[in-house]
Amino acid sequence: MTVASGVRARLRRPIAALVPVASALVVGFGVCGLIALWVGLSPSVMFDQLIRGAVEGPQFFETVARAVPLVGMTLAAAIPLRAGIVNLGADGQLALGGCAAAIVALYLPAPDGMRLAMALGAGMFVGAAYAALAAAGEIYAGVPLLLSTWLLTYPAKGLCGYLVRTPLRDPTTAWPSTARIAVGARLGHLLPGTPVNQGFLLIGVVAIAVIFIDRRTSVGFELRLRGLNERFARYGGVALHRQTLGVMVASGAIAGLVGAIMVLGSQFRYTDGALTAPQYSWSGTLAALLAGGEPLGSVIAAVLFAALQTGGFAMERSVEIPRVLTMVLQSIVILFLAMRGAIWKRS
Amino acid sequence: MTFAFFNATFFDQAVLGITPILLAALAGTLSERVGLFNIALEGQMLVGAFAAIAGSHFGGTLQAGVLAAITAGALFSGLLAVGSALLRGNDIVIGISLNLLAAGLTSFLLRTLFGVSGTYSDSAMSGLPRLTVPGVASLPLVGPALGHQNALVYLSWGLVAIIAVFLTRTPWGLRLRGIGEQPAAAVALGANATVYRFLVTLIGGALCGLAGLQLSLGSLTLFSENMTAGRGWIAVAAVMLGRARPLYVAAACVLFGLSDALGLRLQGEGLPNQLTDSAPYIVTLAALVIAGLRQRRFAGPVS
Amino acid sequence: MAYLEMIDIVKRYPGVLANDHVELTVERGEIHAVMGENGAGKSTLMSILYGLQTPDEGYIRFKGSTVVLKSPLDAIAHGIGMVHQAFKLFESLTVWENVVYRREPRRGLFIDGARARAQVAELARRHGLPIDPRARVANLAVGVRQRLEILKALYRDAQVLILDEPTAVLTPAEVGTLFTVMKSLAAAGCTILLVTHKLNEVMAVSDRITVLRNGRVAERLVTADTTPDAIVRAMTGQHVTLQRPKQPREPGAPKLEARGLIVEQHGRRVVDDVSLTVCGGEIVGIAGVAGNGQSELIEALMGLTPIERGMVLIEGKDVTHGAVAAHRAAGVSYIAEDRARTASAATASATDNLAMGFHRAPPLARRGLLQPRAMRAWARGLIERFDIKIASTDTPVGTLSGGNLQKVVTARELAHDAAVLIAEQPTRGVDVGAIAFIHGELLKERERGHGILLVSAELSEILALADRILVMYEGRIVAEFARAAADEATLGLYMAGGSR
Repeated sequence: MTVASGVRARLRRPIAALVPVASALVVGFGVCGLIALWVGLSPSVMFDQLIRGAVEGPQFFETVARAVPLVGMTLAAAIPLRAGIVNLGADGQLALGGCAAAIVALYLPAPDGMRLAMALGAGMFVGAAYAALAAAGEIYAGVPLLLSTWLLTYPAKGLCGYLVRTPLRDPTTAWPSTARIAVGARLGHLLPGTPVNQGFLLIGVVAIAVIFIDRRTSVGFELRLRGLNERFARYGGVALHRQTLGVMVASGAIAGLVGAIMVLGSQFRYTDGALTAPQYSWSGTLAALLAGGEPLGSVIAAVLFAALQTGGFAMERSVEIPRVLTMVLQSIVILFLAMRGAIWKRS
Repeated sequence: MTFAFFNATFFDQAVLGITPILLAALAGTLSERVGLFNIALEGQMLVGAFAAIAGSHFGGTLQAGVLAAITAGALFSGLLAVGSALLRGNDIVIGISLNLLAAGLTSFLLRTLFGVSGTYSDSAMSGLPRLTVPGVASLPLVGPALGHQNALVYLSWGLVAIIAVFLTRTPWGLRLRGIGEQPAAAVALGANATVYRFLVTLIGGALCGLAGLQLSLGSLTLFSENMTAGRGWIAVAAVMLGRARPLYVAAACVLFGLSDALGLRLQGEGLPNQLTDSAPYIVTLAALVIAGLRQRRFAGPVS
Repeated sequence: MAYLEMIDIVKRYPGVLANDHVELTVERGEIHAVMGENGAGKSTLMSILYGLQTPDEGYIRFKGSTVVLKSPLDAIAHGIGMVHQAFKLFESLTVWENVVYRREPRRGLFIDGARARAQVAELARRHGLPIDPRARVANLAVGVRQRLEILKALYRDAQVLILDEPTAVLTPAEVGTLFTVMKSLAAAGCTILLVTHKLNEVMAVSDRITVLRNGRVAERLVTADTTPDAIVRAMTGQHVTLQRPKQPREPGAPKLEARGLIVEQHGRRVVDDVSLTVCGGEIVGIAGVAGNGQSELIEALMGLTPIERGMVLIEGKDVTHGAVAAHRAAGVSYIAEDRARTASAATASATDNLAMGFHRAPPLARRGLLQPRAMRAWARGLIERFDIKIASTDTPVGTLSGGNLQKVVTARELAHDAAVLIAEQPTRGVDVGAIAFIHGELLKERERGHGILLVSAELSEILALADRILVMYEGRIVAEFARAAADEATLGLYMAGGSR
């Protein structure tokens, strides 16, 4: 009996997965249109501004610049999600990473270029270490990562907030923040005249690496199968605890890297709350959920969300519709998909 | 120093801090007992808090605010009920997206209905009135905290007992427990699992609505964006620590309420508020770790 | 007019005609056996009678009138009760809570616990089913749990009691007790439908037999007038198959050794000082009623459960404290009991399922990189060799039938070509063709000089395949026999803890 295993058979499943996503987007836009009507705003104007605000002229580069941290945070969420683990502590890892990067870039006695490299490394290291802490909680005390990662964000943000208000405070600024980072230790512009910085390359490399590892390596295989059936993975010889630690370290490192990129590439100082204000980690988690943790799909979803958010900002500027509506839109899409059982149907 | 440290204000703040967490944790307890993992407590509370302010403002009376909080909480939880109880979608994904939806929706409505962003407060609006329990109110130290609180606080304590008795002594409580433990067996004997899950979720939504009411109208009358500040997640932790048993869950909530008040007290003593704000979360984590380590000693195989 | 009739029942599932115009007639107070191989349609027929399924065609007549059963509630309301093979009990609740669930005696808004306990005790006494109403189900032995299931049905005034493979989890002695209970229930007017594939039990206790084969009624027999051979012929269409001839083999070097294994869970010793050896070229069978430590022993041998004391050696290598990967690397593979939840990933493709365990080494991976084409070829090869009925290598295995999924699991584990194979319930819920195939493969492993540890609840399977038979009871090995010296009666005695 010959068994089919050609290209067409392999394409059928991802294409079938896109249909519910498309219908979820339709529902999401529909509900947001209704909400807009309810508060007396015009849906057609809203969507027009949203889309133009995302891709027209210089807005396109805004979208690209926003996509960098968003894709990063999405990858940080997607890696554990692939294995069935939820990391809700990305905000804390992001903040600690950015803060650490700022400290190294400001105070490390070293030449400029090296300071930059060390700052990026410090961001990754601190983010990874903090995530490893949560992993240890799960491995040794059975504390669910879902809870421990979330709870740990508060002390993390609190610590950074304290540091930036007391020992590291730059008294010349109004907001609690560190001193400005010297030009030589910053991430330079990638495309002159646009907000896109070299962080784009860093995140791009990370994205390619994650997608490659997930699809083409044994490590990725084990990750994926664990996400599908943890008992099966264990039975087949996968070392679960080591894997948990590994994905959390990777996740935290990427989150910390994003924080470092934000500090060194666009803000040039660490300001309390500035890294978490854009809510990249929540959008990133939503994008990863949309794709079920699958890296390429997560990246695509992240880019879509970046466009949505940039458009949202523009929409708010031009027609004064609160941009927070885009968050509503994103949530509705995921909710709809989850209800239809398209995301991880309950076993 | 220690005696003055724990003064009457401390206990009062502790009780006030416990109440929203307790109400949400009771909602989570019922969900857990019927077999649903409800992590949308945070979002439902936030919706209730906003609805309380909105109802009180547009309806003009406190009663309107209460009604709005309960209704909004129940309606919002209807999404969870449909997605989780009816359609059996993934609890965690639905919960997270509902929390984010609540944050986005309340922020959006704050700007479009009230025209402000950040915080809306109205000093002319009446909050929940405090009642006085004679005898209890005159006790030293804890008197005002226990004897001079609003009706919702007392209701939350009463609910702990009511829910405990309901679960263990009534037929419907028995059926609910059976559905949560072994749905196949319960359905085989004729229990309608879907109806129970649905109702429990809606009731939980109403309870979370009341929790939100306590937040926005309980002492000060204001709503700020994301004012739940993770209390819903602490409620989830309380349910876990208390193993979904009402009395133990209440004890866990007391622990967190006390640590919350402790944090505020330490702030009063001059410690930086960024660190003291973390007190309840660190205490929660420590409790979970300790409980987990103790369980490891008695339990069987490690994964 | 018969007491209970199922008339012209047709039930279709995608790709399968489970019941093909089946007619069943049962008299009042009789013990009626419904027999057939796995997949013959008897479970479907009984689930229709209990309201779990509705027939596509046909109807049911009970006590002279037509009844429509849309759910088990309807069945219970009409007086039809069922004891399932997998018990549906609330572990953390007490016996009386389980019995009165949803029919609780009340006092106002509350449950009348005292009255409930009294009613349960009375019911138990009247029907000879001793049980403690206050006991927690989690602490009950399997035989007692079955009594509880019967009590549940009787509490709801069941006049027809369907027993689905009731003896699968009982020792031979407990089976005797069950038969006594069945006969006394029948004498008191209760009608019993016994669903089973076990000949000797049917001969011992039933009055009449309906045999199903491939979804149709093959024969209707009166027990007193028939023979086991006639029943088998009706079930399979052939005569009794003789035992597969086995070459006697001189066992080789010890491949798997356990020395003084102790495993503790929840403060109890679930594996209590177990020592055993499996040599190359021999099949060692472990007989025992489920729940006596066999699963925990296997998990300890595989590295899935921590070992309190003792040693596990695979091909002479000490793997006692190693993880699963270390055990597998040392040379053991494992056909797990729960094929759907443990031994496979339902939503993953056949390629992925067959690659698990091989995904770190050539040919499926080189230096950490997967080789997709090699993976697909590997899957295709195994599918063809084991004649697995599947549409493509990318089809998720959750869609496969029980027999085919078992073949996938078996194929993968055998592909390891490990020195030791642990097979746990390898043919449970599998159709006859697949059973024969899997038994053949196990014997081939034996021919190759590998050692096999076979754990099975089917004594017939162990007696057919094993060279040596061990009996486990309460976590200990209580007896060891060479095949020639073992018979069902003696094994049954030790399985029940007797003869000490």
